[in-house]
Amino acid sequence: MARLWWITLLLWRTRLTKVAEPLQQYVNAITPALSCSFSDAPLMAIDLEMTGLDPTSDQVISIGLVPIINGEIPLAKAQHLMIAINGSVGQSATVHGIVDNQLQSALTLAEAMQWFLLQTKGHILVAHHAPLDIQFIQQQLIRCFGHAIPLVFIDTLAIEKKRRLQQQDFLQQGSLRLGASRARYHLPVYSAHNALVDALSCAELLLAQVAAMGDVNKLTVNTLIDVRG
Amino acid sequence: MDVQTLTYLIVGATFALYIGIAIWSRAGSTKEFYVAGGGVHPVMNGMATAADWMSAASFISLAGIVSFVGYDGSVYLMGWTGGYVLLALCMAPYLRKFGKFTVPDFIGDRYYSQTARTVAVICAIFICFTYIAGQMRGVGVVFSRFLEVEVETGVYIGMAVVFFYAVLGGMKGITYTQVAQYCVLIFAFMVPAIFISVMMTGHILPQIGFGAELIDAAGNGTGVYLLDKLDGLSAELGFSQYTEGSKDMIDVFFITGALMFGTAGLPHVIVRFFTVPKVKDARVSAGWALVFIAIMYTTIPALSAFSRVNMIETINGPDSTGVPYETAPSWIKNWEKTGLITWEDKNNDGNIFYTNGEKNEMNIDRDIIVLATPEIASLPAWVIALVAAGGLAAALSTSAGLLLVISTSVSHDLLKKNLMPDISDQKELMYARIAAALGVVMAGYFGINPPGFVAAVVAIAFGLAAASLFPAIIMGIFSKTMNKEGAIAGMVVGLLFTASYIAYFKFINPAANVSENWFFGISPEGIGMMGMFVNFAVAFAVSKVTTKIPDDVVAMVESIRFPKGAGEAHDH
Amino acid sequence: MDASELQPVEQFLAAHSPFDSLPAEVISHCAKNITVGYYSKASGFVEFNKENPKLYIVRSGAFEVRDPEGVLVDRVAEGECFGFSTLLSGEKVVNKVAILEDGLVYHLPQAIFVQLRAEQRSFDQFFTRAFAKRLRNEGRFKAKDLTTTSRITAIMCANPIIVQAHASVIDAAKIMREHRVSSVLVIDNHKLKGILTDRDLRNRVIAEGLDTTTLVTQAMTVNPITTHANALVFETMLTMSEHNIHHLPVVDGCQVIGMITSTDILRAQRSQPLFLIGEIGRQANIDSLIQVSKQIPLLLQNLISADARAEEIGRVLTSVTDALTRRLIELNQQILGQAPMAFCWLAFGSQGRQDQVACSDQDNGLLLAHEPDEFAAAYFDTLTKAVCKGLDQCGYVYCPGDIMAQNPKWRLPLNQWKALFKRWVVTPEPKALMHASIFFDMRPVFGPMSLFNELQDDVLASTKDNDIFLAGMAGNSLTESPPLGFFRKFVLERDGSEVKGMDLKHKGSALINDIARVYALSAGIKEVNTAKRIRALMDANIINRKDALNLADAHEFIAHMRLANQGYQVTHNLPVNNFLKPHHLSSLLRHQLRDAFKVVHDAQAGIKLKFLRSF
Repeated sequence: MARLWWITLLLWRTRLTKVAEPLQQYVNAITPALSCSFSDAPLMAIDLEMTGLDPTSDQVISIGLVPIINGEIPLAKAQHLMIAINGSVGQSATVHGIVDNQLQSALTLAEAMQWFLLQTKGHILVAHHAPLDIQFIQQQLIRCFGHAIPLVFIDTLAIEKKRRLQQQDFLQQGSLRLGASRARYHLPVYSAHNALVDALSCAELLLAQVAAMGDVNKLTVNTLIDVRG
Repeated sequence: MDVQTLTYLIVGATFALYIGIAIWSRAGSTKEFYVAGGGVHPVMNGMATAADWMSAASFISLAGIVSFVGYDGSVYLMGWTGGYVLLALCMAPYLRKFGKFTVPDFIGDRYYSQTARTVAVICAIFICFTYIAGQMRGVGVVFSRFLEVEVETGVYIGMAVVFFYAVLGGMKGITYTQVAQYCVLIFAFMVPAIFISVMMTGHILPQIGFGAELIDAAGNGTGVYLLDKLDGLSAELGFSQYTEGSKDMIDVFFITGALMFGTAGLPHVIVRFFTVPKVKDARVSAGWALVFIAIMYTTIPALSAFSRVNMIETINGPDSTGVPYETAPSWIKNWEKTGLITWEDKNNDGNIFYTNGEKNEMNIDRDIIVLATPEIASLPAWVIALVAAGGLAAALSTSAGLLLVISTSVSHDLLKKNLMPDISDQKELMYARIAAALGVVMAGYFGINPPGFVAAVVAIAFGLAAASLFPAIIMGIFSKTMNKEGAIAGMVVGLLFTASYIAYFKFINPAANVSENWFFGISPEGIGMMGMFVNFAVAFAVSKVTTKIPDDVVAMVESIRFPKGAGEAHDH
Repeated sequence: MDASELQPVEQFLAAHSPFDSLPAEVISHCAKNITVGYYSKASGFVEFNKENPKLYIVRSGAFEVRDPEGVLVDRVAEGECFGFSTLLSGEKVVNKVAILEDGLVYHLPQAIFVQLRAEQRSFDQFFTRAFAKRLRNEGRFKAKDLTTTSRITAIMCANPIIVQAHASVIDAAKIMREHRVSSVLVIDNHKLKGILTDRDLRNRVIAEGLDTTTLVTQAMTVNPITTHANALVFETMLTMSEHNIHHLPVVDGCQVIGMITSTDILRAQRSQPLFLIGEIGRQANIDSLIQVSKQIPLLLQNLISADARAEEIGRVLTSVTDALTRRLIELNQQILGQAPMAFCWLAFGSQGRQDQVACSDQDNGLLLAHEPDEFAAAYFDTLTKAVCKGLDQCGYVYCPGDIMAQNPKWRLPLNQWKALFKRWVVTPEPKALMHASIFFDMRPVFGPMSLFNELQDDVLASTKDNDIFLAGMAGNSLTESPPLGFFRKFVLERDGSEVKGMDLKHKGSALINDIARVYALSAGIKEVNTAKRIRALMDANIINRKDALNLADAHEFIAHMRLANQGYQVTHNLPVNNFLKPHHLSSLLRHQLRDAFKVVHDAQAGIKLKFLRSF
């Protein structure tokens, strides 16, 4: 319970600072989600593909969004967005399979962030190793709007780590990676990797983790969430 | 028509015959046939048994061995015939009374142990497998000559034919197909033998010609008896005398024993005694089978002698100095293509010459003797073609039976009863087919790289049977004290002892395979009998120090031997 | 901004039936409309949303479909589907789906499923086949209580007596007298207006002192309670007792199609097996027994119309035969006096196996406790002759092969029966075995169980694991094979130019009986009923579970087809036999029949491998 208060406090604090109107609305919209049961909560699995791992210098190339509604994933609502970047994709092209000319039809960063805010408004974000993605989002918000906002999210890696540590003392290197975690829940191996597929993978993993926790109907979302100001 | 066309025709015709019979016996609903009071006549069943029994080894290789080795080669004849009698008279009736279809099932029940059954299954698979390897070699030889290809290619073709025949053909196991196969093979064997006999001695029956005097081209007696002539030729060329043995008495004795007791332990022939519903019919057909086997076996020594004389004379010419290669008979060149005859002109005189020792220029594979005989004697082309069909008939009828034993043992006895009891019928069938395929492939490998001649390979199979299954069966029937521990230990030790002795001399260190190195002077072909003694000894020793056998098993053994109102219940 | 990169989902669909046959753009369309769910073993069962049925495509994990009684219907693993029964039939979800192993499931909405079925033939076929298979597994033909579940149309009076609305009550009364009925329906312009009963005439006309020219519309019960054509007898009984009425018009829409009375229902109940068996036990002489036995064909007809399982029908009919036999023995013993020794009346063949269909011929024998003296021999001769004659008169004709208790050859003391069986077992001659096989399906109908047990135990002890005998039996059972040719086409028997069709008995049911018998004898299983044998063999792990279930299904299905075909032959006035012409069947049934024959074929290959060591 204390956690929920803490999150609410953090969110409420943005009112004190002067935040752009769309951002303030975004923050306000999340509040109802916080007290939902897991199956009622609006969740949105996200995955970002970046040119590198440093939020301050590297750029976001694409964003995958996969919603979780009533404990199910409607693929019809899954979305994938490319973002135009400055310079070349460079090395990371080999990781994501995105080449420069694919990015030509992409949106500008400002357009993309507006789209992102619109799509995820009122949703709790879900990501594997979420802090990294959250930092990137916040960095992009700073670039577009001048400042960041607190984002509420669920980190499937953190959940997995906690669950693993309940079962054993020592975690093997790499055993918390998305693929390794999925394998423990009989989730299929996906050979393709892009922001969309990884967001889907993450969403599926969350469903599996929650199912493994026991009675889904009694689970409330606030036990899973975290916030980052 | 040339030989090759005729061969295709006759082999094709015999196959058409087998397929035709298979279709006929399937379509003409056997149900009505049975109800009409039919059933298989004992004479027919005897022929079918004989076909099962006479493998490519008998057909192709036996005469070759006798022909080259002379008197010593006849141990195979004695061993096999003796084994059959032993099987028919001493074992089959008891096993039948026990109600078991296969030897491993008998052993499993008699020794009240799944382990014993499994060990027996493994022994049976091992034996059948070795036996098939011999058949493959035989089929390979036939195909290589008549399709004029290398022996290896011949074996590959043979593998395919045998596999399709056994697994997909639906022709195997049908009594009338086997009757036809017997007819083909005995006809193919007898025709050249009779031809040569008439040509050389004027007697129609080769068995009589064997002991008769030779005649010249005009048909007049020459006063020289066949065997004397052969002894003379052999002596002249430095071979040991034909009628004189070169092997140790003890080795001959052991080989004969191994063959005899091995025969009695062979899994695929025993089944024949059980497919006949009445015990009496089974006995009668066993008798007939013996007659049909004897027809061929008594001809073998004669045919061997004839072709030996013929061969030496055609190669070395009338003056025994050799004939020029260019003018050499065509059969030599034909067989050279298969790699089974090679000529090396050591003295560079352009003549071919066959003798014992350094001066010999001809390397002749013994396995070709029956197949080449018609050619050597310049018999008509259709006789040559017929022999090919006969060789195939012999190989097919035997290997189909053996492959079935292997594949059903693997799928049913090993997998279903041991490893995967919950397997579905379809899976079981699939594994059986896979096992058959593997059996053919592995047998084919040994057919290409044979550790000996066809008959010798087969002899090894018999040796293994003698050392493993035979004692277990005999003790199962005749001993009321033999327990499972004893039987299992005996089978395992017997099989291992024999197999390793053979493996050492045949595969690991073939160079050492001479009588000086042999254990008591017993060759690998004969070691099976020694293995049998070892088996008996181990079994009795182990059974003395282990638990007593259960009372119900004792009662069971007694009831097999002294049936109470069992056997053929009187009609009333 | 689309989801065209949902490659993993599309690839998965493209790799599994029936989606693999769909064009890429259709697969992509499917993928976009899928929702993904995760099911954990911890939650036990899949929860279905009743308003919103979906197709469940298993992406990972394993599931088990069970019917409401908990019988396994299907196992579903990666790449397979469940939930289609509801989508296809539109019925409520009744089956439960247990989660065996956690996994991911794709949900395809009903709308897409319907669209795909309409547009893609292969997709549609796949699911109708899967559904058909499922139906068989579910044991569609469940045992049903006759009165409750047979359709009202089977027992109603199809041409109800009617009067027009403008008729007078005296006209109506005349019509009722003429047809000897206690009620008429009042019709106006082909529509049901009301019903007029004896009671109405008494209460509303005579008691009120009305004139006989009063119109029926004044005396009738307006808007009477009706029942509809699809109603079950059970429902109709309920309606009648609720409203305390005895006449119900049967309507189909507005159209009156018949009338049902409580008497009709009573009559239908009379041909119920329990009623019939009770009736048989009450008859005091042979003539009345013969009378009662005339109801047996009606019983069969009712059972077929109630869509009873073929196995149940066989059991029910056999129990009637058993009851008849027992009563005949008792009645004759009342005449002849007590038997001089214990004896057992044995039923063989179909009666033994409890799968009698129409009036079969009799196959029976007598087991005596010991060697009879002259008096005993005469006693049993008289008794058996009388019983066999009685059975013949009741419709169970004399056995053409003379396998009957009245034949001294089959009226033997225990030790001679034992010796006889022993001879068959020790010398399994094909001809002898073919005749003997019916003896191995023996069951005691009358007499002490212990006597029978002694014989059966002895027989089973000698057959169990007797490979040579079993090989003979197996060989015999392989002389016929199911009528499937190359490419699984049906092989039809022809009689000259006349197409006879497929012999469902000799090339279907009998083969399964043979297979079950060989296995049962090999394992020493006492059951003789084929379905029970198969079940016992499955429990003893002698037949693989899957094979056993398939075989039992095939047995039921073929037997059901045979009964249904005979029903068809009766209604079309064709000679009744075992031949089915496949063009009379829907493609779905043809497919199922082919599947069933394939099961028989595989099972034959199985016994060939196991008992004959060949393939």
